[in-house]
Amino acid sequence: MSIKLSESRSSLQQVRIYGVLIIILGIMMFPFYTMISTTLKPAGEIFNSPAQVIPQNLNPSAYFQVWGETEVITWVMNSFIISISTVLLTLSLAIPAAYVCARKDFVGKRTFLLAVLVVQMFAPVILIVGLFDIIVTLDLMDSYLSVIIPSAAFTLPFNIWMLYGYFKTIPVELEEAARIDGASQFLILRKIVLPLTKPALVASITYTFLYAWNRLLFVLTFLTSSGKYNVPRGIFSMVGVLSVDWRMMLTVAVIGVIPLLLLFAFLEEYIVAGMTSGAVKD
Amino acid sequence: MSSFEYAQDDSESQGTVERAVSYLQDHWTEYALITPSIVFLAAVVLYPILETLRLAFYESPRTSTVEVFVGLQNFNEIFSDPFFYQLLWQTFRWVALAVTIKTLLGLLIAVHLNQDIKGRKFFRTAFLIPWGIPYAISAVIFRWIEQPQYGYLNAILLKLGLIDQQIGLLGDPSIAWLGAIAADIWIGTPFMAIIFLAGLQSIPEELYEAAAVDGAYRWVQFRYITIPQLKPVILIATLLSTIWTFVGFDVIWTMTRGGPLDSTATLVIWIYKTGFENGNLGMAAAYSSIGFAILLVFAILYLRIYMQGGEEI
Repeated sequence: MSIKLSESRSSLQQVRIYGVLIIILGIMMFPFYTMISTTLKPAGEIFNSPAQVIPQNLNPSAYFQVWGETEVITWVMNSFIISISTVLLTLSLAIPAAYVCARKDFVGKRTFLLAVLVVQMFAPVILIVGLFDIIVTLDLMDSYLSVIIPSAAFTLPFNIWMLYGYFKTIPVELEEAARIDGASQFLILRKIVLPLTKPALVASITYTFLYAWNRLLFVLTFLTSSGKYNVPRGIFSMVGVLSVDWRMMLTVAVIGVIPLLLLFAFLEEYIVAGMTSGAVKD
Repeated sequence: MSSFEYAQDDSESQGTVERAVSYLQDHWTEYALITPSIVFLAAVVLYPILETLRLAFYESPRTSTVEVFVGLQNFNEIFSDPFFYQLLWQTFRWVALAVTIKTLLGLLIAVHLNQDIKGRKFFRTAFLIPWGIPYAISAVIFRWIEQPQYGYLNAILLKLGLIDQQIGLLGDPSIAWLGAIAADIWIGTPFMAIIFLAGLQSIPEELYEAAAVDGAYRWVQFRYITIPQLKPVILIATLLSTIWTFVGFDVIWTMTRGGPLDSTATLVIWIYKTGFENGNLGMAAAYSSIGFAILLVFAILYLRIYMQGGEEI
């Protein structure tokens, strides 16, 4: 459990720990292995039965075909448009609200923060009928906004709480010093507070980006033309009832996951900090 | 709170309205900064909630704008339909099994990651990935793994001699939900593992040192130190996981759309199917209201646990 105790542990114990971790890792990585190995098989070999779990021949041709046979580039671009817009919208709302709640005391603040926490409980799928009504009424069907607006709303609670918690840890003295020097509130927020909030901001941005990138529901319900699909919706459209082009579809999946893997490789610490902020108190 | 009291003290002679006005004059920037969030959430979350609750009392086909008030008819129809109880049972078993396995697996991973080993960060990142990729992608990968003729699962089980003919997990109404739940568990376990790991790391080392001096065995340590110390974290993580599993839509919809024979449908799948596949928005809204009531119970539980944690606002 602790470092000191583990020093005295036998190497047998170490082997056991690694053994368990590697077995679990193997199981968890198996779906990725399945996805990637399938895309690297020649087209005909996918339909060998029973399947060859270890491919006999490797052939990357799927990665050349996919650009012409699917709209994968459009879907990836749309995913970026939707995710980045959602991040901008939700943060432009969350930063001021979180900041003022962390710094000032005013009537209704507690109610506001608790209400925001409750909002987080109400999953989009439960409200989808009401949301659909509004999107139709506002004439937003088949527009990016029909996905961006609800995505921003359902990530806003997390972002307000995440940033609120972090703003509170920044000493107010820093801001007071700047205020004495005549800096405006906006300048203080931009030049002093936000740079210090970088870890929380990165966690917020990553969480919101992933949320908007990954979710199918809004895109499935509100976007109707395939030129506006994001990656999950594009994949969904390739899963026919009768026939599925598994090789092409899984190739799109690999391409859609690559940006996320980069995000994970560079920002893992921040993602973990964001995930744990709500459930664990230090 | 306190500033409001001061404001009241300063202006005892004034009327309530005037006091409120002067308070607002002093604090207008605060309200100006939270108002956009309030308006946004009211429009995009609160209003759809009310709209959904209203529609539950109407007959409202998706393809037309005509709405007919039908009172409690939608609810009567739901509660007298035997399938509704089947649906509740399917939802319950889905949530119960998925959350239990996610919690146990998450605990197993967290305990083994919370060790002084090389490559800990690598393992942590790798374990996290299934949580971070699109649910629809995870769902299609699992569909492919479980595909009867060409899937790897059948190939491996055949090779190991565990089965003697190919099985179509997702095509069989009695076991399709198990085929779908595998994907859900794969996606949800990393969150539990990461939360538990953070919880384990916040347990004071001295507790284990004292136990070590007493010569406590590892299992005893786990049972009498780790679990009690981790209890609040387990409670909140399990509750969150229960809520998310209950409202999980993307995985089931991509894998089976609730089929075959509605055997993998949960309440939220049924909401969607009723509203957008069968085009009956009023009935879908009525099912939503029931889901809403269930969520409300969870939300109150969550708030209570949260407040007990002594978080200062």
